[in-house]
Amino acid sequence: MLLRRLSLYLVTAWVAITVNFLLPRMMPGNPVQQLIGKLTGQVTVQQVRAIELAFGIGLHQNLWDQYIGYWHQLLVGNLGVSITLSTPVSSVLQSAVPWTIGLIGVSTILSFLVGTVTGTLLGWFRGSRLDSLIPVATFFQAVPYFFLGTVVLLVFGSNLHWFPVLGAYSQSVTPGWHWDFVFSLVRYGELPVITIVLSSVAGWMLGMRNMMITMIAEDFVLMAVAKGLPRRKVIMHAARNAVLPSVANLSLAIGLVVSGALLVELVFNYPGVGDLLLQAVLNEDYPLIQGIFLVITMTVLAANLLADVFYFVLDPRTRTEAAV
Amino acid sequence: MSERPTTSEATTLEDDTVLAIEDFCVDYGWGDAAVRAVNHVNLSVRRSRVLGVAGESGSGKSTLVYAATRLLRPPGVISGGHVSLTFDDPTSSDAKRRTVDLLAATPSELRAIRWSQVSIVLQSALNALNPVLRIGHEFDEVLSTHRPGMKKAQRRERAAELLSLVGLNADRLARFPHELSGGQRQRVMIALALALDPQLVIMDEPTTALDVVTQREIVNELAQLRARFGFSMIFITHDLSLLVELADDIAVMYAGNVVEWAPANDLYGAPRHPYTLGLLNSSPPLSGERRELVGIAGSPPDLSQPIAGCSFHDRCPFAFEKCSSQAPELRVLDDSGRKVACWLHDSPADVPVALRRRPRDATRVGAQTPSNAEGVV
Amino acid sequence: MSAVRVPRSPKVLIGAGLVAFFAVLTVVGPWLAPDNPNATNFTANLRPSSSHWLGTTALGQDIWSQLLVGARATMIVAIVAGVVATLLSMIIGVAAGYLGGKPDEGLSLLSNVFLAIPGLPLLIVIDSYLPAGGRSNSFVIGLIISLTGWAWGARVLRAQTMSLRNRDFVEAARIVGESRLRIMMFEIAPNLLPVLASSLLFTVLYSIGAYVTLAYVGLTSTAVWNWGTMLYWAQANNAPLANQWWWFVPPGVCIALIGTGLALMNFGIDEFINPRLRSAGLSGRIRRTSGLPRRPRLGFTPVARTATPRATWEAGSR
Repeated sequence: MLLRRLSLYLVTAWVAITVNFLLPRMMPGNPVQQLIGKLTGQVTVQQVRAIELAFGIGLHQNLWDQYIGYWHQLLVGNLGVSITLSTPVSSVLQSAVPWTIGLIGVSTILSFLVGTVTGTLLGWFRGSRLDSLIPVATFFQAVPYFFLGTVVLLVFGSNLHWFPVLGAYSQSVTPGWHWDFVFSLVRYGELPVITIVLSSVAGWMLGMRNMMITMIAEDFVLMAVAKGLPRRKVIMHAARNAVLPSVANLSLAIGLVVSGALLVELVFNYPGVGDLLLQAVLNEDYPLIQGIFLVITMTVLAANLLADVFYFVLDPRTRTEAAV
Repeated sequence: MSERPTTSEATTLEDDTVLAIEDFCVDYGWGDAAVRAVNHVNLSVRRSRVLGVAGESGSGKSTLVYAATRLLRPPGVISGGHVSLTFDDPTSSDAKRRTVDLLAATPSELRAIRWSQVSIVLQSALNALNPVLRIGHEFDEVLSTHRPGMKKAQRRERAAELLSLVGLNADRLARFPHELSGGQRQRVMIALALALDPQLVIMDEPTTALDVVTQREIVNELAQLRARFGFSMIFITHDLSLLVELADDIAVMYAGNVVEWAPANDLYGAPRHPYTLGLLNSSPPLSGERRELVGIAGSPPDLSQPIAGCSFHDRCPFAFEKCSSQAPELRVLDDSGRKVACWLHDSPADVPVALRRRPRDATRVGAQTPSNAEGVV
Repeated sequence: MSAVRVPRSPKVLIGAGLVAFFAVLTVVGPWLAPDNPNATNFTANLRPSSSHWLGTTALGQDIWSQLLVGARATMIVAIVAGVVATLLSMIIGVAAGYLGGKPDEGLSLLSNVFLAIPGLPLLIVIDSYLPAGGRSNSFVIGLIISLTGWAWGARVLRAQTMSLRNRDFVEAARIVGESRLRIMMFEIAPNLLPVLASSLLFTVLYSIGAYVTLAYVGLTSTAVWNWGTMLYWAQANNAPLANQWWWFVPPGVCIALIGTGLALMNFGIDEFINPRLRSAGLSGRIRRTSGLPRRPRLGFTPVARTATPRATWEAGSR
């Protein structure tokens, strides 16, 4: 099973890279002229070169040779040069990507845990007062990430001053692996993480609730009761099985969370790729846009693989299938 | 038996009843929508004895047993009667018998009794075992919950011992349910059911999902295990020929009622209720002459509609006018103590030949006590 | 289809009410708008008042009019994207599930690839290469959004089709010799209706989110009024920091409300597909008269002695 998934991700990576290669070459018009027009003459030779590379013009090669060349550059880690920053895209990304991965990783895990635990309780104690959580969570899920982020930022950050906002850490501490910095990191991370968790928790919660309700009808849960097990253990019997579809969907959800998290970064001025992507889009910095898209896609695919491994560990039945 | 144990106080009974079900009614749903699934049933299980409960699906046999142990799922509601369980109290030093009213017991009282005094084996072991847990975990969990004093190594040892009782190797403990065959899984369930030396083991069609050969093997093993450990058993099945090998007494249920109760051999050799006769004719005989298998025409009645008269009358080949207007009650038929709910036996001269055969001994496997019929129920 | 019982829980009714409200707004919104949303002839940054229900923008535009006019563009893109994505997912999902074998492998791979690529970044990349004419065209934007939103539905529909494929009525149609296309369209598709409806609700929900996000980031034409561009302008003029809540809160709340409505409606469909999810609790009246617990507890069957004891029976039996 894992091998199947791995090959799927390899195909996906290939598709993403190829799309990335073809899109600029399908674009009508002459981008160099447009750029020159836009920057009104203040174009450096490097900028023209960068955009020619990105769009594959002025190379006098056929598409196939360009494609080979593109792969070649990619494999040596060359993602082109940013037009506006005039620095290699790879080095721009290096400083931004860890922030995004950290923020999304922490939020996804937290959201999954919170949603799964509350979903378990909602499913088991169906019909209790806990049920009122469902419409509330549904509402938060329907609010766009960036809007929720803006409201949360205003209310709890700017007005109530409960949380520090804007940026990833306080300007008064120097980055490094010491207590002050880590503390500042956590404090500044709180609101963005809360925003993402609030927006994404409903999916986990409802999925888990529905699966719990389905599981309670299973014989082995009744058997757990018949064995005289304490309620906590009975719930665990059901939950241990109900969580499997959630874990299977984990890989899918990561893509959605990434999309939302990019915008949350924007709102909170978090120094991740979200902010970078917006700048790149506004400045029509195509090499940077492409680089960011590639890196995001690859990161999501890697996270998908991790989620699949997790599922593999949790469900013994998949292991037997793989062995056969 | 005339005294109804209504409290959970220790009541020393003269006889050795383990489970007493009295005037027991179970409904599905509530109010106008309620459907009576078990209708004023009286049954009892004695120490070290096997009570067989037979009937088609939908006869209420499983509902009866699940409700009696309070395991029936919603929308099941117990709407009347009493159920009490008597067992050797493990907490008292002088091995006093204790009786608990199961319908009045609190959740924690029920939890303490469950599995340690009453265990259950379901039809499909694949569904009854948690698919993501190893077999060993199931044993470990039951033992650690009910025997907090046991150490992990002791629990493992006990689990291995239990598996060897049902002829399985201890290496099965590290397996997952889907890695075992159907017969192995059901043996695991039986071993698990015996883990705490319960007073009563409930078998809900434990062999129905298995092939015929495995079915026989497991029935034989059960008979031996019962002879060795002396637990009581309720064995639910639609297959009367299985019951005659294992059960001491058999109750036949139809549409929520017990329509016949008799010692196993008597019932098997000489049925008195037309429905019992129909059930026997529709299952292959154990031995003796070959016989044509005939199913019972028609299907069980829709319990949500009121039934006038005997619930079996429209399928009964011997029905007469009275059957469609008045419902017969279960009454003692003769000196042997067997009971039947059928108007045919009101006038002995008119009883059809098929329902007046004399009891003869059939071959029984592994039963240590001959059945007798003194005042049970 | 007359026998279909739609669960009428308050959740579903509220959801349907919200969706209906916004559907009406889509149609009549622009006519109701008191002012031209582009007109800048009012005092800037007015607080909500009787003449301007939601105040004015920094440019002196009437926000209430923008909200009403913006409803239509937002909903049109969402509906176009939702319908197209659902159609795509139905064609691909049903074909994959029914045909099996090689076509299934190919189509499943296709949908899995689209599932694995993060949607919004792809959307942004495609959109950033669009010429300005495309960005202002609601249909073009809707089509692009549908391109990134069909895969999940296809996966669900494929699974559902596979479970239908070997049912008796499909088998019968096959034996009678009906063509594969006919079987897929007339035998299988009607049975997928609840799943399709659920898939449509979700893609519309997704499309609203995607469109508003694109507009907020500035990737659609800022001249087209929708709730996303309202937020874009509010953000661009620092309305949040200036605490001009009347500017940025209304469009956000509208988006959230219609999204909530769609999700609540989906609860009803969920309960229709999976009857186990339907409420098992007793009504208050029955509970009071019977003394039964509100929530049945697994493993503790309730006791409510309503049956008349048969004393006579016991006497007769002994």
